[in-house]
Amino acid sequence: MMMEYFEQLEDGLRKAIASGQASPRKIYSLEVARLGKRLYSGTNRVAWCGITAPFDLLGAMGITSCFVEFIGAMLASTGAAGEFIEATEHIGYSSDSCSYHRAVTGAAIKGLMPEPEFLIGTTNPCSGGLAVIENLAAHFKKKLFVLHVPQDESGKNVRYFADQLRDMTAFITDVTGITPDPEKLKMAMTNTNRTRSILAEIYDLARGLPSPVTSKELSNFGIVMALFLGTEEAVNVAEAYRDEFKHRLAAGATGRPKEKFRLLWIQNRIQFKNPIEKLLEDEFGARIVIDELNDITWDPIDLDDIYGGLARRSISIPFNGTIEKRVSHLRKLAKAYQVDGAVNPCNWGCRQGTGARGLIEDGLKEIGVPVLNLEVDCVDSRKFTEGQFRTRLEAFVEMMESRK
Amino acid sequence: MYYLGIDIGSLSSDAVLIDRDETVLATSVVPTGARNQEAIERATNEVLQKSGLTKDRLAAIVSTGYGRNRVTDRLCAVTEITCHAKGILAFYPQTRVLIDIGGQDSKVILLDADGKVTDFAMNDKCAAGTGRFLEAMARALQVDIDEMGELDKGAQAGLTISSMCTVFAESEVVSLIANGTPVKEIVNGLNRSIASRTVSLVKRVASDLNGYAVAMSGGVARNNGVVRAISEALGGVSVLVPELPDTVGAMGAALIAKERSGG
Ligand code: SF4
Repeated sequence: MMMEYFEQLEDGLRKAIASGQASPRKIYSLEVARLGKRLYSGTNRVAWCGITAPFDLLGAMGITSCFVEFIGAMLASTGAAGEFIEATEHIGYSSDSCSYHRAVTGAAIKGLMPEPEFLIGTTNPCSGGLAVIENLAAHFKKKLFVLHVPQDESGKNVRYFADQLRDMTAFITDVTGITPDPEKLKMAMTNTNRTRSILAEIYDLARGLPSPVTSKELSNFGIVMALFLGTEEAVNVAEAYRDEFKHRLAAGATGRPKEKFRLLWIQNRIQFKNPIEKLLEDEFGARIVIDELNDITWDPIDLDDIYGGLARRSISIPFNGTIEKRVSHLRKLAKAYQVDGAVNPCNWGCRQGTGARGLIEDGLKEIGVPVLNLEVDCVDSRKFTEGQFRTRLEAFVEMMESRK
Repeated sequence: MYYLGIDIGSLSSDAVLIDRDETVLATSVVPTGARNQEAIERATNEVLQKSGLTKDRLAAIVSTGYGRNRVTDRLCAVTEITCHAKGILAFYPQTRVLIDIGGQDSKVILLDADGKVTDFAMNDKCAAGTGRFLEAMARALQVDIDEMGELDKGAQAGLTISSMCTVFAESEVVSLIANGTPVKEIVNGLNRSIASRTVSLVKRVASDLNGYAVAMSGGVARNNGVVRAISEALGGVSVLVPELPDTVGAMGAALIAKERSGG
């Protein structure tokens, strides 16, 4: 089922691009489809990982790696997550736990998760994700290496984490017999650095007044692009966005005609088909110009200290550390992108999301940015009622309007 | 010139007709039922009949509530949050915190000194503690919903209804009745459980009431027992309730109709 889905997706996108209907989002989605195909091909060496694993390092070693939540999001976007979530609940999982994880676990139960060669868990930002990886390791009877990601970027922590990355590499060699080729590794890191600098340009362009970005174009972008880092394709995707945004700005045109309100989206988007972005733009004149996870918080990787650079990158992700660090990052984004408000979907069952909700709200309110907290399951569409969301979003926009 | 505000909620549809001096000429509250088009027509016809006017005298109609986009001849549709905030100020201009409990939603709205909405919080995940919850409980108690407001009089106020889920709360109530618990104690327990949910919402927008005037709108505000329980749960703060709390949203919509049509 998933292989067919990714094949059809790739096919459709390739045809659209070839027929002159290319767009940055299509070029990006094509890479998503290709990653999906590689994961499900049955011939590639696959590793299931936590969100903060170094995917470019794994890629340079010839491993197709991916965070498990990607599958939860993909199942949601196909509209099929419900049955997988149910399968997980049938074996006793709480219906209050994160549905990215219930969907992935359901996929494993139903034989829809490709068998990995090994697994790399990460303790941050999501302990639920680590539990899923541990379950998958038991399910597939495969070896697991856990990266203990520190929360702040002290020199000691960077060294500690860099050593773990070296140990992880040795573990992979042990399991697969592959040793990292220094040349391939350097080439991957060069691509990572090139992508990094173009991404920084894209995010800079998105700050424009009005912004050249539409609400949907960069959804899930930062977190998924991490999976392509180290490759030439990542550079191509990033260039497509940069060139398009530059072109729009030069032509004086923006993604959409109206931009009454600029919004910051906190954490992940809603993964199943839903009308929120369209409603915001078409009816309320509000546009998501920045997502919390679309930012570059790390320096280019030093080719003479690759492990140190990768360690610093993982630790730097603001979602990874204390709430204080996360709030100050959100405040920085809110100011840089001159947003009028922020939307926090607070995915049901996400401890990171809901646990931080009050502090995030207070932190943004202090700088004059109101926050709309939604109660939404970002993966399970069965819990979504459009009327409820419409009222909350519309009332939030009316409130921002009265403040103008 | 006359202005009509119409609020199509999940349980009732309410209409308020005002003139250019913002004087209320007529109000109407009808059950929404399964077909909200009919409810819209009935509520509109009722206010027109009561005031002896015909539809062509209306300068503008503004709709609100869940069915707001179903009103075809509207000037615009505005959410309940904005309309209730606007409407309550017509009754109590000093309001800073408004509690609105309707059929399936409860919300708390924070207003600044100029009457602008600065924050709001709404019930999440389920409709426990709303009008539908009370309806189900009245059914379980076999009492009329309109009587419920006084049925807690003289209760010891010790009973806790622990279930938040409407279905579980209903069976909890049924077991309490079977155990011979007096109705007044059960009603009091229900009122306090609604109050505790409501106060959590209040605290989300105003952690400290700072002497703010608190008002309540929506159909549930007709239930004195719930209002009393909310007042107690807020530490004895008095809760202002207009005479027809169901029509506050429609009143706000009527005022917005006047404002936006240049009246
Ligand atoms: S939503 Fe929260 S719990 Fe779920 S995967 Fe993301 S961080 Fe983890």
